[in-house]
Amino acid sequence: MTLIDCQQLTREYRKGENVIRPLDGLDLRVDKSEFLALMGPSGSGKTTLLNLIAGIDRPTSGQLLIDGQDITKLSRNRLAAWRATEIGYIFQLYNLVPVLSAFENVELPLLLQPLSRKQRQARVYEALERAGIHDRADHYPRQLSGGQEQRVAIARAIVTDPTILVADEPTGDLDKPSAEAIMRLMQMLNQDLGKTIIMVTHDPGTTRYAKRTLHLDKGRLARDEMVQDRIETHADEVNV
Amino acid sequence: MSYLRFMPLVFKQVTRHRVRTLLTAAGIAIAMFLFTAVQAMQQGVARATKASADDTALVVYRKDRFCPATSQLPQDYTARISRIAGVTDVIPVKVVVNNCRTSLDVVTFRGIPKDQFLKERGDGLEIISGSTKDWLRRTDASLIGETLAKRRGLTPGMTFDAAGITTYVAGVIRSDDAQDQNVAYTALEFVQLAGRDQLGIVTQFNVKVQSAAMLEPVADQIDQVFATAQEPTSTYTEKAFVGKIADDIVELVGFARWLGLGCLAAVLALVGNAIVLSVQSRIAEHAVLQTLGYASRHVAGLIVAEGVVVSLIGGLVGAIAAVAVARWGSFALSVEGQSIPITAGPGLIATGLLICGSLGVIAGLVPAWQASRREIAACFRAV
Repeated sequence: MTLIDCQQLTREYRKGENVIRPLDGLDLRVDKSEFLALMGPSGSGKTTLLNLIAGIDRPTSGQLLIDGQDITKLSRNRLAAWRATEIGYIFQLYNLVPVLSAFENVELPLLLQPLSRKQRQARVYEALERAGIHDRADHYPRQLSGGQEQRVAIARAIVTDPTILVADEPTGDLDKPSAEAIMRLMQMLNQDLGKTIIMVTHDPGTTRYAKRTLHLDKGRLARDEMVQDRIETHADEVNV
Repeated sequence: MSYLRFMPLVFKQVTRHRVRTLLTAAGIAIAMFLFTAVQAMQQGVARATKASADDTALVVYRKDRFCPATSQLPQDYTARISRIAGVTDVIPVKVVVNNCRTSLDVVTFRGIPKDQFLKERGDGLEIISGSTKDWLRRTDASLIGETLAKRRGLTPGMTFDAAGITTYVAGVIRSDDAQDQNVAYTALEFVQLAGRDQLGIVTQFNVKVQSAAMLEPVADQIDQVFATAQEPTSTYTEKAFVGKIADDIVELVGFARWLGLGCLAAVLALVGNAIVLSVQSRIAEHAVLQTLGYASRHVAGLIVAEGVVVSLIGGLVGAIAAVAVARWGSFALSVEGQSIPITAGPGLIATGLLICGSLGVIAGLVPAWQASRREIAACFRAV
């Protein structure tokens, strides 16, 4: 079932006289509960596509239907309300609020929902537990390692039970063991909770956790690989 | 949805950015201290000089004299003034001050006929310590104003010396009349004779008339009666008299209003600067909030609320400090025996808080609007 449907999606920026087009007429469909990795060189449009899907940027032209709704037509306020329930965003540099504890950071998106304090508390602890960081609930970001910070950021992203998780190089600032742990956590969120995940990455190692890898180049789709394709390709290479 | 649920978030931002909050609040507190002090002076001036509908008091002074030392009138004018239609009471007063210039520590002796004074003013005075019995018994006894007692640390039973007069404190009085605050009321003859040999000479007459409407006609008539006398008179309403004698102070305090406005401008600039710096250093944080689903109004509201909370903290500290200093210091600006007390009460604290809160909102509006309208993706690209 198609969850995300991009049609001729284009994003342009003006820089003085020049027009930069990080995304150039992209067509893409993503099914519900897919785990999609976006790869490509710098400037290929990965983060731009991620931001458009997350509703924090608007396309210059084209359509972006999410669950049948064209989010490009939503007003600023309605788009914010849509993000609050439908999107969980995981940043490369975690972007936790430094003066708030892990618990308070995870609670932030829930303040927008009509929940009692007790209900919020239960949801926050559940998210922290799922992210494997509940024992650090009272810690501030400065008291956490990079891997722990990213777990808190993931808990914040899933606490509202969004339909789509978008992650912009979630392991880009982590050492290998931490990166592996974060990727396993994301895979669990995809497999156990059925979250649709779109992840930008530069690390080919992390794409093995995804079901599908999309290669972008100059704002266009260069290659679209399913996990099965990659396994077969690898098997062919071994046989040769 | 109630915006109150975001208040804990606002308080956390304020209290956990301790240095920023303390520095900003300290600046606001200093400015509000000055503003409240100026307001207290202005309140004192208004209380001492603004006429009200139930004023019925006149002051008869020596014409063309503006100092107690030079205003000398024969005491026997009392009977002639009493005969004027509309006059209900005349109290001859001999005023001696320890300092004719503007000062914060002026002691004014008012020599009055004690029995007549108690009959006329007794109901409006509250004896907060000591007794009138003691005061009536001793010629050198004084009833002193609460402000003077506090400032000089005087209590009943003590003696004190000022302007060459040594007097015994028989009681401390509280009065709504600003002029009673720095005064020592004692026997008329005692002041006339204390080192001066001015028996039969008074400084002024305090005259009561039947109604406020009688003030002007009676004043004109008094001055007409003595127009050709050796010592002609000028008669004023009591509040106008204070305003005239203390016009330098009134003018200075009026000018201080600009100082007060300057303090408000300083608060505005301080809060505005703090908010702008805070917003600039937290571009990514606000973009994250918007990514999480916070609408522009939420982000703007959080920014403005932070400004208001910091302003209120600083304003509260500054206003309370100013009111405390004014109350415990019991200051009064005095000139030529007339006092303008620096009065400050809870009303001033409330005014200060209201102003600080409003300035917090005004200072935060523009940065809040700018921060809430930024493109989220552009914010992430910028940091």
